[in-house]
Amino acid sequence: MRESTAQLQHAIDKVHLRFGEQALLRATRLPPADPWPSGLAEIDRLTGIHGLPKGRLSVLQGATGSGKLTLALAFLARATRELAQSVVIDHRVGFDPWALQPLHPDLRSLAVVRPPNAEVAGEAAVALARAGAGFLLLLGELPESALTPLESAAARSGSLVVACANARDAALAHASSLTFGLERSGWIYEGDQLVGLRTSVTCLKNKLAPPGAGTELDIRYPLGAETFPEKPLLGAPAKSEISWGELALVFHEGVKPWVVRTAVG
Amino acid sequence: MGGPYCCGLIPHLELAHHQQLIGQPLVIGYWGSGERVLACSEPAAEAGVRPGMTMRNAEHLCPAAFIAEPRPGATVRLRERLAAALYDLAPEVEVRDDGRCWIGLEGLPAEQKSLAVRELRARLLQATGSEPRLGVAPGPFSARLAAQRAQPGRVLRVEDAPRFLAPLPAEELDLDPELMDRLDLLGLRTLGAVAEIGPRRLESQLGPPGRLAVLLARGEEPQPLNAWQPPRCMSAARQLEPPVEDREALLFIARALCGDLAAELGLRGAGAKKVRMLLAIEGQAVPEERSSLVRNPLSSQAELFGLAGGWLREWQPAGPVCGLTLEIPELEAAGRRQLRLWVGGDAVAEEVQAALERLQERHGETVAVRLVPALTRSGVPTQRYVAEPA
Repeated sequence: MRESTAQLQHAIDKVHLRFGEQALLRATRLPPADPWPSGLAEIDRLTGIHGLPKGRLSVLQGATGSGKLTLALAFLARATRELAQSVVIDHRVGFDPWALQPLHPDLRSLAVVRPPNAEVAGEAAVALARAGAGFLLLLGELPESALTPLESAAARSGSLVVACANARDAALAHASSLTFGLERSGWIYEGDQLVGLRTSVTCLKNKLAPPGAGTELDIRYPLGAETFPEKPLLGAPAKSEISWGELALVFHEGVKPWVVRTAVG
Repeated sequence: MGGPYCCGLIPHLELAHHQQLIGQPLVIGYWGSGERVLACSEPAAEAGVRPGMTMRNAEHLCPAAFIAEPRPGATVRLRERLAAALYDLAPEVEVRDDGRCWIGLEGLPAEQKSLAVRELRARLLQATGSEPRLGVAPGPFSARLAAQRAQPGRVLRVEDAPRFLAPLPAEELDLDPELMDRLDLLGLRTLGAVAEIGPRRLESQLGPPGRLAVLLARGEEPQPLNAWQPPRCMSAARQLEPPVEDREALLFIARALCGDLAAELGLRGAGAKKVRMLLAIEGQAVPEERSSLVRNPLSSQAELFGLAGGWLREWQPAGPVCGLTLEIPELEAAGRRQLRLWVGGDAVAEEVQAALERLQERHGETVAVRLVPALTRSGVPTQRYVAEPA
């Protein structure tokens, strides 16, 4: 036993000598996850570390119309205000900044990459994570081969990477440190007018804290670009006692603009 | 004067080509009536042979000596290899054909200095097969004189250069024989005596070499090293036998070449400013070529392969490929790439901007854009924002 321990220590010393102290760390010496508060207290609670983990890949997963893009845009808008550089990698999703506008983003710190194919999307994601982009939002598919370099690049630079996925992608799920599953649980009406949707959010995977926690969010449609309603457009249902730090206005991806205008009447 | 410097003395590099003759008399020089000795081994020197004397005279003094002709090309290559091998010990390195090597130890931590000196000894021994003499002193001149007085494989350290130089003979100044005669006539036979004269006074007697001689004798080290610079071009190549037609195989090879170049760039702390790829085609005398000047230097394997792989994916070679070469004709110092140096936190805007520009260079300007509000009330989504190249 003692001999094998000595051999193991010798092997560890060799790794340290050759590749440096940081190449091999005991679990007790691993740096703690660095959280970035999303501004949505209920989401931060689900992560278990009071924020989205920096240097990791987080995935928002759900069917079309479940509210995942809305949630991602809320993160993005906050990131543009707080971080030096935020980037959207928009591969065949058709990111429309107008949907972001009600959330008051700082567009000066936002860049949009529109890659011609998935390979370039993967290359761009890795390059930008390596360069240290503060917040990276991935819309659309990434090739499987890009996920491992993306993970390691983000871990080195501390980039916060968030991906939206329609269906369960095994490779993406494997690479992610945090996965939220979103499912629409109902519509919100005021009188006979549809004003939003209610979605349940569940933490499906969490490498940093126990998974499984869940909550419900109310997502309200903005009633025109200039008309901001007094109610928050993204928030927990009124029955819960969650207080929101700031007003968040979100345009939902599942509803086309002309539908909203019709609703505005 | 920066200092300290470490000087290593090894035999003339021409002698290193004849390691099988170590310990035997060897004279290097072209044979002819007017030709002179370029270098000689220690046994030949013990017989009285000196560099600069005529070959006929050398043969007369040491009839048993082997005579070999110089190999200037091989010597230059050896000098470059030696300088490159010493370059990672210290940023300031000079290697001369006559076997004098210096490394500048300024700025290195104390323990790193002694480590560098030990490594210098080991590498010179490996390159030439003979133990070097080593001297450490505040300047290159005093370090060389210290090394000359050290035993082979040992280091002589000099702290007080003027005191060390004072008793040494004036011949160490390497002046012309005529100037040496005049120094002798002036009664200046040691470096200490030369140091006591004012530089202007000796300059009036001997001209500019007189001033230089006084400064050297005082240990003021007016002559800095002629520091070696790594070549500003690098390349990696693979010969393919049998010739390859499969694009995936070429991509695999290109990725490996990019890895080799990236490792080399990392060692030099440099980035590629220009990249060129050559495909040798079977049956064609002239290789097919692609090259690109990049706005932001590339230094990692992923960055290099992003460019090279993009070329290969679209390339339609005229025939099977029998050789693939990746060249970096223009390098840029890494100092210009330390974008994070003056920023803190996640403020890495410049580095992200550089990454976006690299993407634009490869895939067109519209691949990365920034959004500027235009007609935000328009019902047409494309009119609401203008996308400007990032």
